[in-house]
Amino acid sequence: MESSRLNVSVIIKLEPDFSEGNVSYNSDGTLNRAETKSILGPHSAVASMAALNTKIMYNADVSVGTMGPPIAEQALQQSQLICDADELHLYSDRIFAGADTLATAEVLRAGVDKMHGGVKSDIVFSGHRASDGETGQTGPQTAWKLGYTFFGNVIGFSVDLERRLARVTRLVPIQGLHDVIEELEAPLPIFITIHPSYKPVFTTVSQRLTFFKCQKEARDRSALYKNYLKTFTAQTLGVDPKLVGLPGSPTIVYRVEKIPRAKTSRMAEIVDGSKRDQIKAVAKKITDMVKVK
Amino acid sequence: MEKFDVAIVGGGSAGLAALKQLANLGKQAVLLESGKAIGSKSISGGILYSKKPKHGKAYNVEDVYGQEFVTDAPLERPILKYILHATSNEKVYSIDLSAAHSYQTNYAYSVLMNKLNSWFAKQAGESAEKYGGGIIPGVHVQSVEWKDGITTIETNELDRFQVKAIIAADGVNSEIAELTGARAKFVPQELYQGAKVLIKLPEQIMEKRFNISESDGAAHLFSGDIAQGHIGGGFLYTNRDTISLGGVYHYDSLLGKVVEPYELINKLILNPMIREFIKDEVPQKEEIDKSLPKEEQLRIRFSVSKLIRTWQDLRQSYHSTSGTEALINSGKYKSREEILERLDLIRKDLNSKYGTKFITDYVELEYSAKLVPDGKRCRMKKPYHKNVLFIGDAAGRGIFVGPRIEGINVGVDDAVRAADSVSRSLDRNNLDYEYLGGFYAHSVDESPYTRDMKQIDKDYLKIFLSATKDVPKDIIGSRYSMIFKLMSSETFRGLAVGFANILGYDRLLPILESEETYNQVPIELAEKLGRRMTSDYRPSIPTIAERVAKLKYDDDTVSHIKVSKPTSEFMKKMVSLCPTRCYSIEDNQVVLQHEGCIECGTCAPETEWRHPRGEKGITYQYG
Repeated sequence: MESSRLNVSVIIKLEPDFSEGNVSYNSDGTLNRAETKSILGPHSAVASMAALNTKIMYNADVSVGTMGPPIAEQALQQSQLICDADELHLYSDRIFAGADTLATAEVLRAGVDKMHGGVKSDIVFSGHRASDGETGQTGPQTAWKLGYTFFGNVIGFSVDLERRLARVTRLVPIQGLHDVIEELEAPLPIFITIHPSYKPVFTTVSQRLTFFKCQKEARDRSALYKNYLKTFTAQTLGVDPKLVGLPGSPTIVYRVEKIPRAKTSRMAEIVDGSKRDQIKAVAKKITDMVKVK
Repeated sequence: MEKFDVAIVGGGSAGLAALKQLANLGKQAVLLESGKAIGSKSISGGILYSKKPKHGKAYNVEDVYGQEFVTDAPLERPILKYILHATSNEKVYSIDLSAAHSYQTNYAYSVLMNKLNSWFAKQAGESAEKYGGGIIPGVHVQSVEWKDGITTIETNELDRFQVKAIIAADGVNSEIAELTGARAKFVPQELYQGAKVLIKLPEQIMEKRFNISESDGAAHLFSGDIAQGHIGGGFLYTNRDTISLGGVYHYDSLLGKVVEPYELINKLILNPMIREFIKDEVPQKEEIDKSLPKEEQLRIRFSVSKLIRTWQDLRQSYHSTSGTEALINSGKYKSREEILERLDLIRKDLNSKYGTKFITDYVELEYSAKLVPDGKRCRMKKPYHKNVLFIGDAAGRGIFVGPRIEGINVGVDDAVRAADSVSRSLDRNNLDYEYLGGFYAHSVDESPYTRDMKQIDKDYLKIFLSATKDVPKDIIGSRYSMIFKLMSSETFRGLAVGFANILGYDRLLPILESEETYNQVPIELAEKLGRRMTSDYRPSIPTIAERVAKLKYDDDTVSHIKVSKPTSEFMKKMVSLCPTRCYSIEDNQVVLQHEGCIECGTCAPETEWRHPRGEKGITYQYG
């Protein structure tokens, strides 16, 4: 039985928390990273949810990995709370610093190969993109390095364990038209970047009970996440130093353009005063408008 | 189709007790709850009793959850004092009913249902898991079907599944009762409507004010002019750092003289005695100067909000032993004095920099309402239908005898009896409807609570009368003084109660539960013997819109209620009687806006009433 168990891997990212009260900006409008709290990126959270789905539907063995500084542990912990991960990987080394998406993909490729005790993963999930940079290509690049069949924009999936076959549905945006839903089939292993609109649905009593059990287990596990955590350096990961970090990054940032603030096309008016005054003022505006007509 | 042994519908205290008890007996059961999480739709007055009746056995919470219940469960305060106040304007006459309250009682705790049910759910869920069952929130049962000896359950959210027996614990507005045809909908004569507000008050201020210690609490009941001519009264229970204040009134009497439920609460709040009970120091923000630049206005608004929040949190901790300890242990403060200094500093800052005033007022946290079944009138005589057993509110079981108000303990007792009956049937592999239901019905009949719903307890009456022995009998109405005099004699009382019980409770009720008992006598008592109370502040009572705005909802796009008789007299009264004002009249027709509904069921007698679909509707924070 154990050999036919589905091995699922998730790669995630620690990102700034852009929610109100947590985010802090410098006076020039750029992000103040030191003052801003970091959390599991929202897209990584969706990828973790997809992994939870495989745990509930197929009793998958789930590993989660991330590249980042030691503080990225927090993201792993938060991901474990969602997907009840069996194993957490942190790829952390000074020489990884300054990596572009390709160099990051190299680390993640090596990481995924180390997951599940070195047994090949059947499905790898990653987020759609990052919330702190336009780096949606890390997922596809990792897939390419791993040599797995890649699916982007995925909104649903199922696995035929016996035939080792996956079926995925994905959104294909067609410009000027509505999105089209495409259904595809591929033999395992596959790499999926999950669409932000993805939401797992459990429609049987047993699935819901398993969901309940996993949630509880996830709470217990993430409280002691260090017991599940393995940290790797470039050496223990066995990556070629020339392919990671700054030396492995062909991207050169020449200049960063500031995006000019768009002019508002509509006039907004702020109504002040007590609640009663505000409502009165708004009501008056509306009646005036109606009168003009 | 998936198969399970037992399904429990409803995750209130009764349903959860059934799940836990079934697990205690090693049986598989799944509990379906329509709310987003367990406890999100549960509210109560709330006192939870553990009883030791002289006749028969009552199954208590600790029988189900073990002794950990008393040590671990999130209970508010043990209620030792129980005082009834007769009110008339500023005058109050008080009678200590603590002896009647502790009659056949192991303990009584004030509780907040949301917190408590979450604890029950943790215990019950973990035990149920061992036998392949558990709790499934966010699922609303749509129908139950019996075909070829197979019972299937259909829900809005899940695939159909098969069960051997069902325990219906879906509350006073039980849909299972309706869709199985087990009983007719309750009518107003059989119901009470309860409405409550939860009020914030720091721990030690409460203890000083109510003359209680850290390890006890008090319950105060009110009757007289606060009832505004209705049959029922008010209640005030001390929780750990909140107060439950509300009223429970006979639904029939509300229909007779229509009044908004929140107006009845407001009347309570305005009573000088209660006003003094709930008052607190409340910061009042100063209007921000409009001539200042917009950015500056925003900065001031944010700073004031943050400072007030800090002041409130810190004050909360300062007035609580555990809170102060936690602050000192965290190393933030060295002593209690240092916390006080900091509090004063923030206060001064708020006042001098931003003009914030500190006034006497009170703070409301949550408004809620529910219907309560009057067990004397509406308990199901046959609490089962086929293989469905009804428990707690769903079976119309609750005790309302004068100042004796019990519901949670009755539901728990029913739950144990139902779980035992189902377990017996499963063990003997005999799920014959009569074998299961008949056994349960018999067990429920033997419950001491059923006896309390059927007849007057002589001993309880004696204790009650002795508590009122100081009331001069000649000042109250002649009929009552005669009854009182007669009842004071042991022999007469014995004879009278014996005779009354033969005559039947139902025939006595109109005499006992009359306007005279609930209004005239208490008003007269207060007028003639009461102390004059004073309170010199004016509480700023929120409007119903403000109260509703504080509640959390996940609105469904479709309404769970259908108005079928938009022009009926009953429906027109809903415009006032709906606790959240969901009804209004347009062109002489009653129209519903379901978005503010708190699912109390007040309008259920003449509407097509369903609970919202899974995860939808109200989510209470306290309960």
